[in-house]
Amino acid sequence: MIYKHQRIVFWVMVGCIVLMATLLFFERQRGRERILSLANQMPLDAPAASTEPVTLDLANDDNGSIHAEQRQMALPVEVNARVRALLDQLIAEYALPGSAHPLQQGSAVSEVFLLPLPVGGYSVNSAAAQRDDGTVASSPVAADPPGTAPINPGGELAVIDLRSTFVNQHPSGVEVESLTLLSIVGTLHANIPQIEQVRFLVDGQPRETLAGHADLLRTYPSRDTATPNTGGGQ
Amino acid sequence: MIALAMGLGLAQTPSPTPAPPPPATAPLNRNVIVLDAAHGGVDSGSRIGDSTLEKDVTLALAFRLRSLLTARGFTVVMTRENDAAQKPGPPVAGSSALTLDDRAGIANHAHAAACLLLHATGAGDGVHLYSSELDSAPAQAAVPPWLTAQAAWVTQSTQLEARIGAALQRAKLPLVSSRASVRPVDSLTCPAVVVELAPQNDDRNSITDGDYQQRIAEAIAGALVFWAQQVQPPPLLPGGHAAETAVQP
Repeated sequence: MIYKHQRIVFWVMVGCIVLMATLLFFERQRGRERILSLANQMPLDAPAASTEPVTLDLANDDNGSIHAEQRQMALPVEVNARVRALLDQLIAEYALPGSAHPLQQGSAVSEVFLLPLPVGGYSVNSAAAQRDDGTVASSPVAADPPGTAPINPGGELAVIDLRSTFVNQHPSGVEVESLTLLSIVGTLHANIPQIEQVRFLVDGQPRETLAGHADLLRTYPSRDTATPNTGGGQ
Repeated sequence: MIALAMGLGLAQTPSPTPAPPPPATAPLNRNVIVLDAAHGGVDSGSRIGDSTLEKDVTLALAFRLRSLLTARGFTVVMTRENDAAQKPGPPVAGSSALTLDDRAGIANHAHAAACLLLHATGAGDGVHLYSSELDSAPAQAAVPPWLTAQAAWVTQSTQLEARIGAALQRAKLPLVSSRASVRPVDSLTCPAVVVELAPQNDDRNSITDGDYQQRIAEAIAGALVFWAQQVQPPPLLPGGHAAETAVQP
């Protein structure tokens, strides 16, 4: 004997099952259509990256000179990434067979930091510190080293953190080390105009020299390091 | 009375105004030369050829120069006289090796007429001369920043580089003259030049040739004799060490 309320529950449950099956079927169809529509948006061809002309200051060990050369490169928009891409391209040029300034292949730059100038943020007014007797009042803090103020508004200090793997394999010598640093400074000057000064770290730490000679502790002013055609050396 | 007074007044010669004191200049010992044979100990510098290390070449050239300069009446201060550059005093484990700043300190305390940083390379030809890349500063502060102390002496360093370069050219030695930041030249308070010895005629073995080194050393020593007579130390800023002036030999 099946009671009436049991039959009602049974048919309600059957209805729910049918309803759930229908819902599941339609949801499956919608999901399939969504995946298919996504698949249609997949790019079939490589994106055509817009390249731009860049200037690389390339060193030549034979005559100790640096000359500027134009290249077409796709550069990122973000400035730090642009600096890294430029320096990676520069070192890659030196790693090519037959390079006039041969360096070890591999990534040279670990990080790039751009800091607004002046970094110290203070300076000593020498006129105000002058006493009547001609002597200068001593300041409790050291004055900013000369040349730390920005030349133009928005001038920045680029801190290039080099990899120790690159530095440890760099050829040793006054000229070859200086050419590497000047090549980096000149390339940044030519392509990133807001960089006015360049400093170097190695694995995040200050280091005295690149490979025993060129000074890595000093701040290099960003400038055109290409050797003039009419002079240079002797 | 008035006429007498006027007569006396007319007769009086105007009192001579005291001559202004000469501007204070940085101390300088004209008969002292500093020779820094670069590298040493575990720091062998660059490898020149199969068995030649830069540290050995720089020390050999320093000894030759010391002999020639001493014979010409100079007092020569060397930052190292054997393979390993050690700090003066009893050896202390782990900290007795001479740092580049220690070398600059030795040179600065000597108040030398010239500081020569001797290097060597297997690349290039002849002798390479470098002076500091710093911009010249008009006067020397009482306490200049350590990393840019050479700025007040850049003019003298450039003149010294030119004088040594001229002597090397007279000796018919190939020459490259330029500017570079080589540690610790920017921390030196003396006329400072980096002298980098390169092979002769691209023959790497020639860098250890005694005759070749002797020609270079004689040219440099001759240039330093004239240099010591003409070098003028830079003036000091007011408030500097006014009592310290050029020391004549």
